[in-house]
Amino acid sequence: MIRFKNVSKVYGHDTNALKNVNLHIKPGEFVSIVGQSGTGKTTLIKLIIAEERPSSGHVIIGDWDITNIKPHEIPILRRQIGVIFQDFKLLPRKTVFENAAFGLEVAGVHSKRIHEIVPQVLKIVGLEKKMNRFPRQLSGGEQQRTVIARALVHRPKILVADEPTGNLDSINSQDIISLLKKINEFGTTVLLVTHNRDIVNALRKRVVTIDHGSIVSDQATGRYIL
Amino acid sequence: MFIFLGRTIKFAFQGFTRNIWLSVVTVVILVLTLFSVTIAAGINIIAEKAIESVEQKVDVSVYFEPDISEQEVLNVRYRLEELSQVESVGYISKEEALQRFIDRHQDDPGIIESIEEVGNPLGATLVVKAKSIDDYPTVLSMLESDSYADLIQGKSYDDNQQVINRLSDISSKVQRIGLIVSAVFIIIAILIIFNTIRINIYTHREEIGIMKLVGASNWFVRAPFLVESMLYAVLAVVIAIAVLYPLLGVIAPQVDSFFAGYNFDLVSYIHGYLIEIIAWQLGFAIVLSFISSSFAIGRYLRV
Ligand SMILES: Nc1ncnc2c1ncn2[C@@H]1O[C@H](COP(=O)(O)OP(=O)(O)O)[C@@H](O)[C@H]1O
Ligand SMILES: [Mg+2]
Repeated sequence: MIRFKNVSKVYGHDTNALKNVNLHIKPGEFVSIVGQSGTGKTTLIKLIIAEERPSSGHVIIGDWDITNIKPHEIPILRRQIGVIFQDFKLLPRKTVFENAAFGLEVAGVHSKRIHEIVPQVLKIVGLEKKMNRFPRQLSGGEQQRTVIARALVHRPKILVADEPTGNLDSINSQDIISLLKKINEFGTTVLLVTHNRDIVNALRKRVVTIDHGSIVSDQATGRYIL
Repeated sequence: MFIFLGRTIKFAFQGFTRNIWLSVVTVVILVLTLFSVTIAAGINIIAEKAIESVEQKVDVSVYFEPDISEQEVLNVRYRLEELSQVESVGYISKEEALQRFIDRHQDDPGIIESIEEVGNPLGATLVVKAKSIDDYPTVLSMLESDSYADLIQGKSYDDNQQVINRLSDISSKVQRIGLIVSAVFIIIAILIIFNTIRINIYTHREEIGIMKLVGASNWFVRAPFLVESMLYAVLAVVIAIAVLYPLLGVIAPQVDSFFAGYNFDLVSYIHGYLIEIIAWQLGFAIVLSFISSSFAIGRYLRV
């Protein structure tokens, strides 16, 4: 599903964010990426969604080599990958429903279809009763669940979450993680970047540890080792 | 496709209303630009039409000797009509000339009497109109050639040259001023539209980021800003026409009465070309908006 072949990423002249990374994530896997801050985790995510290009090596999504993806193909890629960032990036003037619908709206989906899909997805994330609220009327966990709903409306094969619990307390964090697990059980490949030790240890899933741009450990049912 | 169009327009309207004062300023500047360009072009047209109608009044009257036969006069007429420079040749026979002369001097019994005594002393007349004012010297020099010397009693050339010169002098001055004022406004309009779109891109940066993240196509990210600038253009044209049209309704009859007696009718000109004028304004405003917003988008909306 996701394959990195000898991928390096250099920012500017001397910031070597990733060094010769080889990684293979199979369909339906739930993989946690852990590591200290500044070690290249976000860079890895950005390579997957083609926000950055590798300096060398190849990035392959499904059977699509996106190493040299053309700008007009990026939207096609992004509709197959749901993205969740730590800072929620919700539109404050739009309701929960409108925020979740945004991805479908900009993709030119019929509003009839939008009104079918979005309530379903909001039900999955448990916000079906708060569809008409604005982000400021939601708790942090609810805001992040709205972001997850927005990431799910395209029914993506891959969901990447870059520190989705970074701004949340532990109860809300647990909620989000169990939601991600639920999504993974539906068959979506989930890539979770975190440095929350408790979360990783409780998950009992594959853990990839990155340090200074290199993969230093990759365990099938791993624990947080740094 | 229609969904895209609908949503693009929806987003464009949101951009328009979110920075409403900026939008208002942009539209006002565009309206002023349209004013200055339209007025400059309008004065240009009025001057051109005025010169044209004065030129139409120019002709050469050729007076033949009274004893020249009608056939000979018609021969000359025929040869004049052959000339490429000649637009038309009017023929006034001896009898007609006399009738006109009598009509003109009705109140002068002395003249009428003496005419009755001597018979018709007048010759036929040809009235020559050239195609353009510059063709008259050629026509005149032909009439001066020896072969005509015996036939022709005299010529009168009423050239209105002074009026024409003054008109074209005034019009070229006004044109120059109009051109400068229009150019200044066009430059201001380009800068204002550029800046408005730039600020709108800035206010929407979060939204643009999310749009890209959730897979909006590149042109779908850009199109609302282009459409927004088209919106300015259309609105500006509507306002400009709404103000200019009644204004012209007041001015045009006065211009027409100033040129009374000439073949000059601004009122019917405006009515005849109204659609064309609107189309020109719309085209002009849209091209202006398109260019400046494209620059802003190209510069500040990297996708
Ligand atoms: N756009 C960028 N330009 C230059 N350097 C960058 C950029 N993004 C990240 N970096 C650098 O690359 C390294 C890895 O960053 P990042 O992938 O964000 O790490 P992490 O997500 O693990 O904290 C850091 O040293 C960071 O400063
Ligand atoms: Mg990071």
